Amino acid sequence: MTEAVKPEDEAKLEEFMARIERGEKIEATDWMPDEYRRILLKFIQMHGVSEIMGAYPEKEWVPKAPTLRRKLGLMSKVQDEVGHGQLLLRVAEELGAPLGVTRESLITDIFHGRTKFHNVFHMESPTWADAGVIGWLVDGAAIIAQTALLDTSYAPYGRVLKRICAEESFHMQHGESIILALAEGTKEQRQMLQDAVNRWWESLYFFFGPPTISRSAELMMKYRIREKTNEQLRQKFLSRYVPRVHSLGLTLPDKNLHYDEATQTWSYTQPDWERWGRMVRENSGPKSQERIALRRQAHEGQRWVREAMVDSPHRAAV
Amino acid sequence: MRLQEAEGLYHPYEVFVQYDHLQHHQHVGSVLAPSPEVALLMARENLLRRERAVNVWVVRKDQIHATDYGDDDFFAQEFDRSYRRVDGYSADNARKWKQFKQRALELEDMLGD
Ligand SMILES: [Fe+2]
Ligand SMILES: [Fe+2]
Repeated sequence: MTEAVKPEDEAKLEEFMARIERGEKIEATDWMPDEYRRILLKFIQMHGVSEIMGAYPEKEWVPKAPTLRRKLGLMSKVQDEVGHGQLLLRVAEELGAPLGVTRESLITDIFHGRTKFHNVFHMESPTWADAGVIGWLVDGAAIIAQTALLDTSYAPYGRVLKRICAEESFHMQHGESIILALAEGTKEQRQMLQDAVNRWWESLYFFFGPPTISRSAELMMKYRIREKTNEQLRQKFLSRYVPRVHSLGLTLPDKNLHYDEATQTWSYTQPDWERWGRMVRENSGPKSQERIALRRQAHEGQRWVREAMVDSPHRAAV
Repeated sequence: MRLQEAEGLYHPYEVFVQYDHLQHHQHVGSVLAPSPEVALLMARENLLRRERAVNVWVVRKDQIHATDYGDDDFFAQEFDRSYRRVDGYSADNARKWKQFKQRALELEDMLGD
């Protein structure tokens, strides 16, 4: 049985939708329908958690970076990503507070399988070229997804995204710097780069989500949380990056990939939606469980530090 | 006026104005007020006579925790941080892209359609 909507809520809902349609921005303290709050919360939590889990494939290369400068650059980038996670989780916390959501639950959801993170961060990064390709193409894809959210109806999210996108311009340059050095390097270095591009390409198609418009995507558009479709974003990514991959003299592992002048769109081979979807849902990618275990270890192993910091003023007073 | 009595009853409040929803609150000045409610009114009358805004915060000055202007160590950057900035890479990247007959992508390239 569905609960009858109270007439005063109906009036509020109508006013809320009118605000959305006028392009007004919603603040955390405004009345909002439960559905809006829950969709946003789930989305921002996944975004925040993906930033944090996204640090893992690259952090694996910090101890093995080829030069001190590369090590510093990569460390800065990893630090930024964790920082993005922190900013986003603050937004999620405030949004979820009326539902009893806390920082603790947002984080522990990761290892209880109650939230998901982007497919790309479940994958292996076996060579230094993977660290470069992540910075170049995975960050490129993420930036396209994030800039599409800058005009979101939820103002606290929009404000944080503005800062995140500004920091992402460093990530773009950082990733390009690594792959350019390899692209103009030895035969072996170029081959390493080509292999990494081949490894990541299909996962980048999946990254933007299916071309069909799901129920939640429909709601995101209705509430003007995000107005672009998955396919629009994927097309944007292809138009920015395919020509650049080719100008480096590299190839892409998709025989069907080409620009169709008639439809003005990129044609490509559909990724295996079912297989990738299952991997993300079940955390069954090659690195999912290992990275989740590391996250849990960090969260639980450092609990005493968080507790000690709360206690310290009392102890000092004794 | 019995000013002496008023002393300790009025407090400085720092004023933070949010000019539109996609901007964070910005510190714009302070007012002396007997209560947060009056501080908000004074902030509007003193600091928002012309510009439009969507929100104002007032925070009692003694509730603000701040660094010390003399504390240079707090802001010390031990060494050159260009590895953390766009300009640490951009010129070199641009030169390399040119060799490949391309140009580097910028954030603006991601914004348009
Ligand atoms: Fe990020
Ligand atoms: Fe990034």
